[in-house]
Amino acid sequence: MKFKLNLITLALLAPASLAMAADGYDLANANTEKVKFSAWSCKGCVSETGVSGTIGAGVGYNDSDDIRSANAFAAEDDFAGKVDADLSYRGENGYRASIEADNLGMENGRVDINAGKLGQYNINLNYRQIHTYKTDSAMSPYLGAGSGNLTLPANWQTAGGSSEMPMLYDSLSPLELSLKRKRAGLGLEYQGEELWSTYVTYMREEKTGLKTASGSFFNQSMMLAEPVDYTTDTIEAGIKLKGDNWFTALNYNGSFFKNDIQTLRFDNAFNPTFGAQRAGYMSLDPDNESHTVTLSGQFAQKGAVVSGRLFAGQMTQDEAFITSGYGYQLPQESLDGKVDILGMNLKAVKRATRNLRISGSYDYYDRDNQTQIQEWTQISINNVSGRVAYNTPYDNTSHKAKLAMDYRIANGMKLDAGYDYRRDERSYQDREITDENSVWARFSLNSFEHWNMWIKGSYGKRDGSEYEASEWTSSESNKLLRKYNLADRKRTQVEARVTHSPIDTLTLDFGARYALDDYNNTVIGLTESKDLSYDASISYLLTDDLSLSAFYNHQTIDSDQAGSSNFSTVTWTGTVEDKVDVIGAGLAYDNLLEKKLRLGLDYTYSDSDSSTQVRQGITGDYGDYYAKVHNVNLYAQYQATEKMALRLDYKMEKYEDNDAGNDIAPDGIWNLVSFGDNSHDYTAHLIMLSVNYRL
Amino acid sequence: MRISKNIPTLLSALLATAVLSFGITQVAHASKWDAKMSPEEVEATLDQKFAEGSYSSKGADSCLMCHKKSEKVMDLFKGVHGAIDSSKSPMAGLQCEACHGPMGKHNRGGNEPMITFGKGSTLAADKQNSVCLSCHQDDKRMSWNGGHHDNADVACASCHSVHTAKDPVLSKNTEMEVCTSCHTKQKADMNKRSSHPLKWAQMVCSDCHNPHGSTTDADLNKASVNDTCYSCHAEKRGPKLWEHAPVTENCVTCHNPHGSVNDGMLKTRAPQLCQQCHASDGHASRAYLGNTGMGSQVNDNAFTGGRSCLNCHSQIHGSNHPSGKLFQR
Repeated sequence: MKFKLNLITLALLAPASLAMAADGYDLANANTEKVKFSAWSCKGCVSETGVSGTIGAGVGYNDSDDIRSANAFAAEDDFAGKVDADLSYRGENGYRASIEADNLGMENGRVDINAGKLGQYNINLNYRQIHTYKTDSAMSPYLGAGSGNLTLPANWQTAGGSSEMPMLYDSLSPLELSLKRKRAGLGLEYQGEELWSTYVTYMREEKTGLKTASGSFFNQSMMLAEPVDYTTDTIEAGIKLKGDNWFTALNYNGSFFKNDIQTLRFDNAFNPTFGAQRAGYMSLDPDNESHTVTLSGQFAQKGAVVSGRLFAGQMTQDEAFITSGYGYQLPQESLDGKVDILGMNLKAVKRATRNLRISGSYDYYDRDNQTQIQEWTQISINNVSGRVAYNTPYDNTSHKAKLAMDYRIANGMKLDAGYDYRRDERSYQDREITDENSVWARFSLNSFEHWNMWIKGSYGKRDGSEYEASEWTSSESNKLLRKYNLADRKRTQVEARVTHSPIDTLTLDFGARYALDDYNNTVIGLTESKDLSYDASISYLLTDDLSLSAFYNHQTIDSDQAGSSNFSTVTWTGTVEDKVDVIGAGLAYDNLLEKKLRLGLDYTYSDSDSSTQVRQGITGDYGDYYAKVHNVNLYAQYQATEKMALRLDYKMEKYEDNDAGNDIAPDGIWNLVSFGDNSHDYTAHLIMLSVNYRL
Repeated sequence: MRISKNIPTLLSALLATAVLSFGITQVAHASKWDAKMSPEEVEATLDQKFAEGSYSSKGADSCLMCHKKSEKVMDLFKGVHGAIDSSKSPMAGLQCEACHGPMGKHNRGGNEPMITFGKGSTLAADKQNSVCLSCHQDDKRMSWNGGHHDNADVACASCHSVHTAKDPVLSKNTEMEVCTSCHTKQKADMNKRSSHPLKWAQMVCSDCHNPHGSTTDADLNKASVNDTCYSCHAEKRGPKLWEHAPVTENCVTCHNPHGSVNDGMLKTRAPQLCQQCHASDGHASRAYLGNTGMGSQVNDNAFTGGRSCLNCHSQIHGSNHPSGKLFQR
């Protein structure tokens, strides 16, 4: 058997002093003076070559009358087929290859292929799909869905209100609102004999489908199916150098976004009002590019670690502006938009004693929008038409400084504490500077047998420069308004968790957290937000073959806000209460039928609910807004022969949601042509039989 | 939660579920020396042994004289850490003792402590990790020291195993289970009305977060929240002519990326969300009461019905139309 001595070993062969091991057992500090490597032949080491792993295939029947179930089942049609593989090849001299395929052929399929030589190079090919589905019954009178030109039927007659449009109901046809991402990648990695390594990856993602947009003229609006036909290419490359106690890396990331459809033209379904427009043109997301170069490094010595990162990037966009339906002189044909990103991170961690460690860091991030400010005439789609407006390319800069320490009071008892400071600077906004100071502490206790627990608390206070509510807004804003991302805020958070394992096979876990955001100087806007959640779980291994687990989570988020209908002091208040309950249970029974059968059951239920109330003299509410979903996965796996296993899966999803604000007919609101009621109420089933073969 | 104990339990349960054929059994017993020595004594002995450097006379062969009967030990040779044909593997260096420390007198009955990892180990997590980090240091792990998992005393071996052909935590199908066993709030989030497609493992936590720590808040993979979002939502990157300030600064101002009881992962729905920041004279300032029982309904007007504010201000992530100042085009 042939052995190669690596760099670390060679370095170790040099006489090393009796290093103190208080920092740990870093190989660079190993004392190998006395080692006689010539006698280390490793006769007992095993190296098997060949192919091993599993390969499988499955067929399934999908019973669903709502496309939304494809999110859970990854199957759109009645029948589904898939291939799974987990194969690896080991050759002589470190040659390796592997294929991992998961649900290939289904809507969430992915595959990852690697080939290379250990410690030298690797070639990777990968593919991944993410498909998400909203509905297949969005009702629209428009023709040309999927293109950049949405037209109404030739015999369409406009009207002042949607319910007066004589052709509306005859023209409706259902649309599928879904987005499909297909991502393929190629990667190469090479490691030098010493010190260095390099890599390059390329990835292309295509995203297609339809999403909801709205086209409006003054106060009248139509829901539109916006085409999505994006291609994003991403290239990453880097080189890394490392030694015993340091490393450095230089990376480049380039991203190139292309949108095949840049304009969405749509007919006006209503009688023309302002500007007498019969068609509108919406600008869809323009092509853009982003480039980032990052230099990072780390140095460690005597219990201290210093690491840092510097990065510089640029995001650009220069797509030609829409001129159709605009009719004014443009200051330039395209934006020539440019944003420079500059950032730095510095962090030092020092172990002062065996029980005390301190750390400090500073982070800087700057977004500098270099785009020219110009005059842009606003067209006649509303009552601010014909006015001139100036674009406001936003800049922002953040500085963060953190100090922290962790102290081991005794074995199994630890205190962590820290102070965080953050400053944000912004241009063209109501407040130029915000400062936030926070302190936090966490105490953990693991010293009692069978019990583990910790508690964490933090308090933060944000304030800043003078708040000028109307400085940059186009229309004057209420002087008492404080936007919640800029407003003064006191944030209090507490979290605790207890885990108890009375016996080796049983674990009980309970946690709770509470957060209060008090916008203490806000009269109008978000004034307070409270977030309370708790969860409990149990996992129990009843016998060697039977395991049981269950969990429950609850969360309530309450938000209070205030407004003024008469543009002065508070006349109305609003309360939003968001609630969720999630319950899950799992059961697995193994080694049945002469140790050949395994049965399993997984169940989850979640109930999301939101209620909104607004009070101004009288109290109104926003009706029901909920989503309730049950998911069951029952499976049986049978080891038919030594090599072959059969598996039968049954999946069920029972889903129901509602949105009172969208519980409308296409003409239910006079100045809106909507997609209609797109709530869901279905029970879907999937049965899948798969065969797995072990090589 | 004592993470270092719970994750291996979970992983072994998952393993048993997912990969029956591997036949791995979890060693539940603490080491022999733990019966006689306190964790502090074990650590002091290991420190001393490491400094003395009394490595074995024959390397792995010395260890295998006793340990070759253990399937778990021999499984090392199925994975990269046991590869004898790689110049970068521990087998090309100090072999077993690269990770487990110098043998010393351990071969005389197994009473003298060795460096051990994972569930049965009483050795402090940072000491265990110092072994792994001597080789695994690069730009993806440079924030480990002082990071969240390090501070919570998570050992590398709490999540990873090397005595196996394939480390199960690297599989996307097990990743969600492992992360949410401690991050229970996120487990609830991904079951809410809207969330990223995490529930069915189409996406996984590591698509956005680096479990080994990063210099960005919440250990994100990219330099900021927005840069992380742009890696999949490049169309939002722009820059566009008319920017919506919070969009360019922080997506999380309006969205909760882990999930929400509202559609679109919005923290609050329109019009309330919009009215938390917009109160100009006119329709933005008015009280929209919804169902009052006095004739008005939430779904009878375009301010609260349909897409609410977005019925007109559809281009809420910014517009590149010359006339897009109010995000209508």
